[in-house]
Amino acid sequence: MYNLVEHGIYSENEQKEDPEKYEEFMARIEAGEKIEADDWMPDEYRQTLIKLISMHGISEIMGALPEKEWVPKAPTLKRKLGIMAKVQDEMGHGQLLLRVAEDLMAPYGKDRGDLMRDLLEGKLKFHNVFHMPTKTWADAGVIGWLVDGAAIISQTNMLDASYGPYQRALQRICAEEVFHAQHGEAIVMALAEGTKEQRAMLQDAVNRWWSALLMFFGPASASTTGSSKQEVTTKYRIRKSSNEELRQAFLDKYLPRVFALGLTVPDETAHYDEDKQKWIYKQPDWTEFKKIISNNGPRSKERLRLREIAYENNSWVREALAPTAAMS
Amino acid sequence: MNLVETPAEAQKNQSYYNALVELLYQFADDDFIVSFRGSEWLGLAPHIEEDVAFSSITQNTMGHAFLFYQLLEDLGEGSADSLAHDRSASERRNAVYFEKVNGKGTYVEEPYYDWALTVVRQFLYETFKKVKLQAASRSSYEPLAHTAQKILMEQPYHLAHWKMWITQLHGATEEARMRIHSRLEEAWREILDALELGPLAEEMERQKLIKKEKDLQEEWQQSVEETLGFLPNIPLGKNLGNGRAKQHTKDLEQALATLTEVYVSDREAVW
Amino acid sequence: MADKKTEANFYKKYEVFSKKNEKSPIQHQFSLLAPNAEMALNLAQENFMRRENVIDVWVVPREEIRGLTSEERKQWTKRLDNKDYRTTKGYGYLRKKWREKEQGMLDEKEILSWKEVKKK
Repeated sequence: MYNLVEHGIYSENEQKEDPEKYEEFMARIEAGEKIEADDWMPDEYRQTLIKLISMHGISEIMGALPEKEWVPKAPTLKRKLGIMAKVQDEMGHGQLLLRVAEDLMAPYGKDRGDLMRDLLEGKLKFHNVFHMPTKTWADAGVIGWLVDGAAIISQTNMLDASYGPYQRALQRICAEEVFHAQHGEAIVMALAEGTKEQRAMLQDAVNRWWSALLMFFGPASASTTGSSKQEVTTKYRIRKSSNEELRQAFLDKYLPRVFALGLTVPDETAHYDEDKQKWIYKQPDWTEFKKIISNNGPRSKERLRLREIAYENNSWVREALAPTAAMS
Repeated sequence: MNLVETPAEAQKNQSYYNALVELLYQFADDDFIVSFRGSEWLGLAPHIEEDVAFSSITQNTMGHAFLFYQLLEDLGEGSADSLAHDRSASERRNAVYFEKVNGKGTYVEEPYYDWALTVVRQFLYETFKKVKLQAASRSSYEPLAHTAQKILMEQPYHLAHWKMWITQLHGATEEARMRIHSRLEEAWREILDALELGPLAEEMERQKLIKKEKDLQEEWQQSVEETLGFLPNIPLGKNLGNGRAKQHTKDLEQALATLTEVYVSDREAVW
Repeated sequence: MADKKTEANFYKKYEVFSKKNEKSPIQHQFSLLAPNAEMALNLAQENFMRRENVIDVWVVPREEIRGLTSEERKQWTKRLDNKDYRTTKGYGYLRKKWREKEQGMLDEKEILSWKEVKKK
């Protein structure tokens, strides 16, 4: 679901690769075959997957934190249960994805502990939307409906990914996302059809999340922020579409629904251009985007702090149950 | 004593009704607050796989609270949602030990939560819940008996989960053993109200709603000892107060402020 | 900060398998990290099967599985397409023969319908 942003965790392997093996590899993925963890793969492919999937996985884990703020606050027993199950799924998706990333990192002697440490040291980034604050219950609805909607658009785009373990994880994830989409819609629908205050709360949330949603898919081209790596992922048949194509697909599916609920977006220029067959919208502030994903967003430090405490404060548990410790 | 099959029948006998709702509030409020403390852990457990499994238990527990609030709703006590969200601390019957905060900080800021407290508390709670539900599954109030039987179908997983944690940690490093021990002794000084049935205990027993609290307590103690191989060598106490008599601490106020924040912002709205 | 080496021992890989009902075979689900088999088993169901029926779960330490290697998969999984004699495909001409003799073919559908025989 997440775009690649240069963060250089693992040094590129400079050694020249066997051209014959490379050709065989490319022939396989071009024929639609799936690559497995122990198959030979070009270093660039492995590095790309590690970056993509570890960022995807850790974003799920970090994504649980803003939504979790609303779990106990959910206004009815049914909503409490629904949002708990939804946030649990996000943790579950993180689990699936981190397992895939960990197996790819195994040749480098790295494991989950390294991923957590990379996150805390700022070497592993998480997605821009999860650096944002949540203010009202409507944010829980907008996250569930639109942020998850954006995530569904980019994840389904990779359902045919050439890497087998990732493809299988995405299959599980997307099946659960259908529940997430409806969970978010249900919260939003109740607010949209509710009191004046509820509708105002919803509109306010949409206004606050709008630019983060546009940023979600990343810049249209590398020249915008100098960091997009979308070409590599399409070359290796990991995803099919470009950032802008995905953003347009999102607007196609969701903007008419936003308008149908009587809501607006905070961009008076936003409209569908029939001639160009695409949505016209005001570019979000990509300098702000860069700032956010380098952990300088509105809630970056606080969210990382939560993860850090969870990791450090429970380390005695993991140490106690590590098999060697238990035997001593 | 004949079985009471419907809410209408229960309402005919005032002293029966009073004892019944008292018991149901205990069940509902215990599950509600235990589930809340569990939900605060979401995203913060010792490892991701545990986080996911723990959340299932927390959801189930909230589901159980829901079932008990529905029994109260059927008896005319108000809607399940208002019973969960619109009663002040001074109306709640949950045991005080269960409302105790998970540790320092809050779930959104500096959550220095203690896994040893959670493991000990959840284990002691689920052990008692099983004993109490088994007794309730033979209750004279049939809707309660049915609900208890239903919950007992999925509750064994909860108990197995926390048994695993407490035995593994207790059998691990010296540090882990010490942490578990000190939380167990603390629990012993604070948990006694949980094991009691409150001011209407005798009426509950007389009406065959549930068995004698002394018996429940004994069964619980035996079961805890079976798992741990020992019991803390101090008398059981209720140093934090008596939740069954609606005495509570500021920890419950904190919990309720969070749990009800959105609900009370507009009680009439559809959420 | 946790000791990295000790902590690494906590993250042991287990492969998880489950069985949906009495008639279904055991099926691979996914993998998880746990410090021991008991915990892996306890966590498996809620991690991977919280929305589906399950009547049995297995966990197997990854290192105990001898699977085909990447090379072996390439070499051992390809076969010539000349094994019709192993399947009903190689005996399809019988249908016509039986028809000439005014008898039906005992095909898979027919044979698997023989669970019950007439009580005599």
